[in-house]
Amino acid sequence: MGQGHHWRPFAVGLGPPWLRGPLPWVRATTGGHLLWVSGPSLWPLISRNYKGDVGLGEIENFMGLLLQREEEGTLAPLLTHGHVHFLWIKHANLYLVATTKKNGNASLVYSFLYKVVEVFCEYFKELEEESIRDNFVIVYELLDELMDFGFPQTTDSKILQEYITQEGNKLETGKSRVPTTVTNAVSWRSEGIRYKKNEVFIDVIESVNLLVSANGSVLLSEVVGTIKLKVFLSGMPELRLGLNDRVLFELTGRGTNKSVELEDVKFHQCVRLSRFDNDRTISFIPPDGDFELMSYRLHTQVKPLIWIESVIEKFSHSRVEIMVKAKGQFKKQSVANGVEIAVPVPSDADSPKFKTTVGSAKYLPEKNLVIWTIKSFPGGKEHLMRAHFGLPSVEKEEEEGRPPIAVRFEIPYFTVSGIQVTPAGSPGWCLQGGGDVTCGFSRVVAP
Amino acid sequence: MPYLGGEEAVRELRRALANPHVQADRLRYRAAVLRVIRHMAQGADVSGLFPEMVKASAAADVVQKKLVSLYVRAQAPRQPQLALLAVNTLRKDCSHPSPAVRGLALRSMCGLRMPGIQEYLQQPLLSGLRDKASYVRRAAVLGCAKMVKLQGDSEVDGALVNELYSLLRDQDPIVVVNCLRALEEILKKEGGVVINKPIAHHLLNRMADLDQWGQSEVLAFLLRYRPRSEEELFDILNLLDGYLKSSSPSVVMAATKLFLVLAREYPHVQADVLVRVKGPLLSACTSESRELCFTALCHVRQILGSLPGHFSSHYKKFFCSYSEPHYIKCQKMEVLCELVNDENVQQVLEELKGYCTDVSVELAQGAIFAIGNIARTYTEQCVGILTELLGLQQEHITSAVVQAFRDLVWLCPQCTAAVCRALPGCEDAIQDSEGKQALIWLLGAHGEKVPNAPYVLEEFVENVKSEMFPVVKMELLTALVRLFLSRPAECQDMLGRLLYYCIEEEMDMAVRDRGLFYYRLLQSGVEEVKRVLCGPTSDPSLGLLEDQTERPVNTWASEFNTLAPVYGRERWALVAAHEPPEPSYAYSPCTDSRNKDTESLISEGNEDVLKGHPDTGSLTLIPDVHLTAEQFEKTWLSLDMSCRLSLPWHGAVYPDAVQTALHVVHIQTIAMSKAGVQPWKAYLGAQDDTGCLFLTELLLEEADAGMQVSVKQSEARPEALQTFVSVLRTVMGTVAGLGS
Repeated sequence: MGQGHHWRPFAVGLGPPWLRGPLPWVRATTGGHLLWVSGPSLWPLISRNYKGDVGLGEIENFMGLLLQREEEGTLAPLLTHGHVHFLWIKHANLYLVATTKKNGNASLVYSFLYKVVEVFCEYFKELEEESIRDNFVIVYELLDELMDFGFPQTTDSKILQEYITQEGNKLETGKSRVPTTVTNAVSWRSEGIRYKKNEVFIDVIESVNLLVSANGSVLLSEVVGTIKLKVFLSGMPELRLGLNDRVLFELTGRGTNKSVELEDVKFHQCVRLSRFDNDRTISFIPPDGDFELMSYRLHTQVKPLIWIESVIEKFSHSRVEIMVKAKGQFKKQSVANGVEIAVPVPSDADSPKFKTTVGSAKYLPEKNLVIWTIKSFPGGKEHLMRAHFGLPSVEKEEEEGRPPIAVRFEIPYFTVSGIQVTPAGSPGWCLQGGGDVTCGFSRVVAP
Repeated sequence: MPYLGGEEAVRELRRALANPHVQADRLRYRAAVLRVIRHMAQGADVSGLFPEMVKASAAADVVQKKLVSLYVRAQAPRQPQLALLAVNTLRKDCSHPSPAVRGLALRSMCGLRMPGIQEYLQQPLLSGLRDKASYVRRAAVLGCAKMVKLQGDSEVDGALVNELYSLLRDQDPIVVVNCLRALEEILKKEGGVVINKPIAHHLLNRMADLDQWGQSEVLAFLLRYRPRSEEELFDILNLLDGYLKSSSPSVVMAATKLFLVLAREYPHVQADVLVRVKGPLLSACTSESRELCFTALCHVRQILGSLPGHFSSHYKKFFCSYSEPHYIKCQKMEVLCELVNDENVQQVLEELKGYCTDVSVELAQGAIFAIGNIARTYTEQCVGILTELLGLQQEHITSAVVQAFRDLVWLCPQCTAAVCRALPGCEDAIQDSEGKQALIWLLGAHGEKVPNAPYVLEEFVENVKSEMFPVVKMELLTALVRLFLSRPAECQDMLGRLLYYCIEEEMDMAVRDRGLFYYRLLQSGVEEVKRVLCGPTSDPSLGLLEDQTERPVNTWASEFNTLAPVYGRERWALVAAHEPPEPSYAYSPCTDSRNKDTESLISEGNEDVLKGHPDTGSLTLIPDVHLTAEQFEKTWLSLDMSCRLSLPWHGAVYPDAVQTALHVVHIQTIAMSKAGVQPWKAYLGAQDDTGCLFLTELLLEEADAGMQVSVKQSEARPEALQTFVSVLRTVMGTVAGLGS
């Protein structure tokens, strides 16, 4: 609109998701988790008014609106009341709400809210009501540094951790150093880092997104990969990495049989993009510690690595019988570790009985799931699980959806895409670790 | 959460804070301060502790200072006198050797939203701007904006503005971006920060150093810059190309918008841009964050409005997953409707059909409506699927299908026969008002093709007393009168009963009036009824065409990456109607000096003020401009858009009133649509005493959508333009008032 985006006024209201009031319709929306009931009104957990344009009372409107829209089935991440727009995300049982009166950039606001969650998570491991109450001081300190007058400031948690520390709240005595990073040209790395042993670890993690129709055909398959680095290096090192990227191989006239065509490659801020465009080397000064160097996506025909077939027979008023067959469709030399197959069962099922050819099955009544765990699952093998549940003679009224069966596993030293990362230059780094594959089905055959 | 036992607790806290032993022990001192804050957060009144808290901020502990500043910020508006105590300590901290303390003190001081604080702020802020630590400069720069905001209407200090402009050259990237943000705020009245060529080029060169927030914002500020030559334009585009593929979705969006706006005269470049961002947008659509995914989907829809085929080959990306929230599934279904083509229609319909039986009623109905939408192009297949769904005999499904049929029959009359064959039997499954209305309408309008139509309607007539919804009764009246025309023998008796009921027993006035209306109409003879009820309906194909015309990219480029596409067009129109949108100027942004007082005077119809108004600015419009329609057209086409804005508008337009009102302020009407035509348009011409022409187009696409105003100016004179716009706004505001 020619005016730039303004999304200055900002208040983070973190409120508990359950309504603190015994209102009957809450039960319908939260599925019976109404365990904490107290007080007639809802209280924002913390809030920070950065600009003073939007009153604190507005958050009350938000809660009303949220519940109203949820009931109507018209809930959206952007709500409005009068002149105020509410942009909100939900993390665990907390709502993070940004309020603004300006017509701003929605993706920036959402990204920022996710950043806030990320930063808090790095500080407190988990972001939930408890951790906010317990770390109240740090939360306010962080909110102060993350944003000023409605504008994001320092949001890199590594840098924040250098001058806002949990220890600081226990022991600190007048330590008031602002790290050099805050003034550095390289904003993601402090000067003067030292390690006795210089090491870099590279991890390639790929997940496969598969959309499988009810008749078993694969509608869509794509691989989403990330390359993660763990860097323990002194000083301001410059690193270079090479990939078996098809564009590069064609550029240099090498064969394309072992190369991979990456789509939608995204890099961490530290990577020099001009360099990558020129000769496809990834050259960068890394941040210290863990970070995600790049992510990519590729479209290849991927066979589901573990194929699941299930037969669910429901005998109304008496029992339900489930048979699940899992087949490893990857190379015989590879082994999938920690395979977890989550099979949904009706919510009123009881008295479970299991029989498995391998691994163990467990019933989680609070999630209405059976988890079948197999510690190691070699390629080419086939395993079977049978489950038997009783059903009550009085059937419950509401209809239930048919959730998909979800599968989780890791196959070490194996990437679906066949991507290979090789260090270029910088002799003397030690390359350790291997690729991991995690795979999730978004839908799996259910009869 | 009422806090109980407050007073006792406050006394206890005061004792602790004043205890010299506590003060000597840093940890205990801080714990005491923390307790005060906790009480405050729980809603207790801790204002009585102010002096003790201010004293606590003098301690060396930074965390303690932060806690106290939190307290002071919350309490200062209530106790301005005491707050001055805090100001003293804070000013002292502003020259503390540690940059962290200096920055914190500046930030806290500027955060005290209380009157009279400005005089204490000036000096520390100025030295803060020159501080050697960038941490302090960041706080100082934004502090300037906070100070100016507190000052309200008073003059902006030119020296301060210059200082901030020069800080755009700071080596710290956040200081640079903060300067832009601060200037934007300070110069709000003058149209925000000015991006001239040196500043634009400087920012372009600094882009790589900025973090994702800075990049997104600078890209938005650059929207204001107009490259002087084609060469410069393309240099800029090349320089920024990498940001189209940034890892941050907000940067991708901001860059896309900048590209689309800069390349407004190069449609092929715009098309290329949209091809380049396809990948990043698609991955945002599968993003783990639902909200970012939702935002991306909304923008995909916007792009599809201009390039319907753009995402067709990626249609599978828009298939819903089980765990997605409802709002994402809805957006995805909308996208699927828009990208459907000959190649993918089979798979898309197959997928949508799956959703129709979902447990969620909203989703199932949404999917049915989506199929109904696609049926406008692929009628036969879709009607087949919809008919099949009727077989399920599910209440919500049948209702939605019948509604979809009603809309479809209206737009695609060729499918009437198929729909009529499917209708019998539906009546038993429909309970809701929407579904009943649709069914009754179909039976009334096409009853001659449905053998049992009179008997179904008879059922409704029998139960009319227990019918809950007046709208259903009205629909029933109309339908029965219509059916009576084609099948009089079967309907006459029950029509009599229905009319009797509606006129004699019905309590709802609208239904009763409708009944009386039909009764009188019937009295004037069957021919007359036929003439009224079966007269020619408007050409449905027109509406359809309007819907499907591809909107040029430039119509939405300026609202890309704002909240507008996220709300959706209709909802945004509603939201925007709440607040008068700010006008956007294509060239230099200029002040919007709307005067609320004048406006209210004028809406009372005070013509003297109206006449006087143009003279108050630097603009005098001359009374008799001779401008023919041809001249107008020629000049209009040769000029660039100077300003575009939307005025709130409700209801119908009264062209005569508009014309007269404009004439009063010497704006000539060149051409104008008739009353009631949609879209309604008018072309206006005016000239000021220096010979500068103002050509204006008014466009009202649909009632309540807001009047779109586009102004072109023969000479670029922002001030005059701004005055002209405010005159126009006043006049239109007055006339809009007349309508209601």
